[in-house]
Amino acid sequence: MKSVKRGQRLIALILLAFIAGMIILVVKIQKEASFYMINNNHQVIGKVYDRNGSVLFDTPKNYYAYDENYFIDVGNIIGDNAGQMTNTLVAKNIEKLNNYSFSTGLVESGGKSAIYTTLDHHANQAVYNAYGEKKGCAIAYNYITGEILICTSLPSVNIVKLYANIDDFETGTLISKNLYGTVPGSTQKIPTLIAAVETMGKEELFSKKYTCNGVYTNRSGQTIKCHKLDGHGEQTISEAFSNSCNPYFAQLVEDTQLPLESIKKVYNNLGYSINGEKKNYIEIDGIVSETASTTLENSYDFDTQWGCIGQGDTLVSPLQMMLWQSAIANTSGKMTMPYLIDHVTNVKGKITDRAETKLSKSVFSAETAQTVKEIMLENGKNYSETISGYELGIKSGTAQVKNGEEENSLLAGFVNDRRHPIAFCVLIEDKNSGNLKSEYIVKTMLDALCA
Amino acid sequence: MYKNGLSYVSSCLFVLIAHFAMLAVVFFNGDYLETKDVLILASTVISFDLVYFIAMLFFKQMTYSIDFMLILILNMSVIFQSCFGRVVLDKKHFITCIAAVVACRLGYILCRNHNFIQTKKKHIFIINLIIIICILTLTGSRSMWIDLGFTTIQPSEFLKPAFILACSTSIIEQQKKVKILCFNVVKQNVVLTGLIILIVGLQWWCRDLGSLPTFVAIYLCGLVYRLCYPKAKFSKKILVISGVIFAVLIVLALKFAPSYVQDRLKVDIWSDKTGDGYQQCRALIAIAEGGWFGKGPGQGILHNIAASETDIVFSSICEEWGLLFALMMIIVILIMLMLPLINPPRSYFHTTMTTGVCAAFIVQMALNIFGSCNLIPFTGVTIPFISQGGSSMVTSGFMIGMIIAGQSPVFKRQKRKRKSAKGGAK
Repeated sequence: MKSVKRGQRLIALILLAFIAGMIILVVKIQKEASFYMINNNHQVIGKVYDRNGSVLFDTPKNYYAYDENYFIDVGNIIGDNAGQMTNTLVAKNIEKLNNYSFSTGLVESGGKSAIYTTLDHHANQAVYNAYGEKKGCAIAYNYITGEILICTSLPSVNIVKLYANIDDFETGTLISKNLYGTVPGSTQKIPTLIAAVETMGKEELFSKKYTCNGVYTNRSGQTIKCHKLDGHGEQTISEAFSNSCNPYFAQLVEDTQLPLESIKKVYNNLGYSINGEKKNYIEIDGIVSETASTTLENSYDFDTQWGCIGQGDTLVSPLQMMLWQSAIANTSGKMTMPYLIDHVTNVKGKITDRAETKLSKSVFSAETAQTVKEIMLENGKNYSETISGYELGIKSGTAQVKNGEEENSLLAGFVNDRRHPIAFCVLIEDKNSGNLKSEYIVKTMLDALCA
Repeated sequence: MYKNGLSYVSSCLFVLIAHFAMLAVVFFNGDYLETKDVLILASTVISFDLVYFIAMLFFKQMTYSIDFMLILILNMSVIFQSCFGRVVLDKKHFITCIAAVVACRLGYILCRNHNFIQTKKKHIFIINLIIIICILTLTGSRSMWIDLGFTTIQPSEFLKPAFILACSTSIIEQQKKVKILCFNVVKQNVVLTGLIILIVGLQWWCRDLGSLPTFVAIYLCGLVYRLCYPKAKFSKKILVISGVIFAVLIVLALKFAPSYVQDRLKVDIWSDKTGDGYQQCRALIAIAEGGWFGKGPGQGILHNIAASETDIVFSSICEEWGLLFALMMIIVILIMLMLPLINPPRSYFHTTMTTGVCAAFIVQMALNIFGSCNLIPFTGVTIPFISQGGSSMVTSGFMIGMIIAGQSPVFKRQKRKRKSAKGGAK
């Protein structure tokens, strides 16, 4: 009889293994059914809304109900389900928009699956229109909560027109430039300043004075020019930051009290991949964004100094630049992680997913944040006329691109106001080809958001 | 006699009610051209039930539980298969179900007396070899099918019950040890190992690797019994050593598997939706479309996909009847296999045989369901009694007959032996 019982145990074991497999299968199907349905030929897709209930995406069959350029300001960040753009909110979250659940099946009409974003459509339109014929991008977010308020990139795609003339699209039309690395220009002096404060300390750094004669010959015999050809004379860090003085920062990088390893450490914390390391990315509701990269090989070498000033190999995404502002503005040294999706509703209209504010690990100390904030606010006073009505911490930049043939204008900063805690980064491409100033874009942006 | 909670009549009523309920769903929610189609299906199913109930009375058994589960699942299968695409009685499938019932009775009659079947052990090994030779000679070039003109049969299916019988053993057989080199081994175990090696080689040659896990599972169950004999508990040492050897063999098999097998192991079905992953993608989408309660009998679209009634039949049922009903179908088969736990076999031989059948059924179901749902690599095997296929249906019926034989055994000695015994007394 014992041997018979042994047989029963073996049968029970086999059956239990199968039942366990079935349970896994049912759970898997439950979890992934929506994904399976997205791969079906027939889908019923819900809408995407902005923070005020304005539609940012609708199914193509409803396009007739919207003005021709209704979606263009957010066309390449919200995207659509046509499959032409892959790094967009709709492409990455299409499952959440599907009016389907395993219990109800596909709901042909009356489904309430929707994504409610943090974007402000009105403000995005205002910024988009402010660019006129120019190209570039602008991003802004609430540095306390992490809500992305503005994310517009030009040229943009008009999804209502579908893709009939896709061959005529300009380069960069189908991507949001806010998510990809660009030469930062002198806005790069913010991370270099952070590295200097973090390494030397406030007192030591403020005691440092270097002279700018218009051109600085570094210890390797290479020259670094200043935009002010007759030089800025002897300056403190605060003055050099305001003057955006290249020779000062080249001398700072050469200073033995600011070892290259310390700069690398701070840069790494800020998200840089250095000297060809694997690129770093951050993910915002499935959308992938590059962070930053640069070359730091020798403190006395031109390339390294040029990189710390924000030219040459250095690339930073506008989004990443904006995130650093949050760590400064909050005086915590921790970046507020951004999000685009505020909440999601399922087919029955029930909220299934709600965003929460998250902070990064400490990327630099609170003391450093406080010091950098003071310096940036001091610099912000220079913009009191062009961007009036706001107390700003700010840094401008001019980036040489296309082998110096063109220059891009950048402006990164934050509003020092707890009622309007906005961090931003604005980029205008080929700034010399027109009269548009990045200050104007920022002013338009803040006016639209703070109205 | 086992004590069963339900009487014969109550069990008949239970089966009838279940089938009536399903037919009602077909009538009210199904997609059919004429009411006549549903009536034909209903009358066929109910007639099959009634004839079966009457026929069963001619067999004296200790318990009829598995018999009732068998007719329940068979007619469920007839209803499912008749509804794919549109409700029309699937005559071919219905005939194979009848063949399964006949095979079940044959299996029962052949295996109920373990003394008889044990005396035929040599014949069983010979039958195994004959089937192997048939596969080698009668099937097409490296194929697994024999084309008879009016139909095709898959001889490797018939190899399953034959191999289970070869694996089944008695205490007496395990006591017959011989010394090979410095090991005391049971001669039959060596022969059995040789047979599984032959079968594995054959399956590899035929490119029918889908059935391979079924044979290996049957062999492993048989091996566990044989190696652990005569201890009442499983020998942990032997189990661990066997497990390690098995794992090594699996790794080697995976490493040297043909390229088409390697492709199936690696394929990301969603990035190859129109290629190697096509069937599985469609199967999973169909399950999602069906949801809990299905689209309705005959209202699915998966029947347009190849092997929708065989290899991806679980998804076809999910699509039209819903996941809930598909799970109920699986539960019915599981109950059939669980009944030996409640009403255990009465002999060591029947226990080993029943375990082999359970292993074969479970592995086949797992390969089909988990494979089509992308939990494991996809193989073209059938779900017993549910998938279409004459060879599979007959074999499954025979194997269920083997389980019934274990529950209602006959303990009669062979007449020849009794005569010789009497002669000896004289």
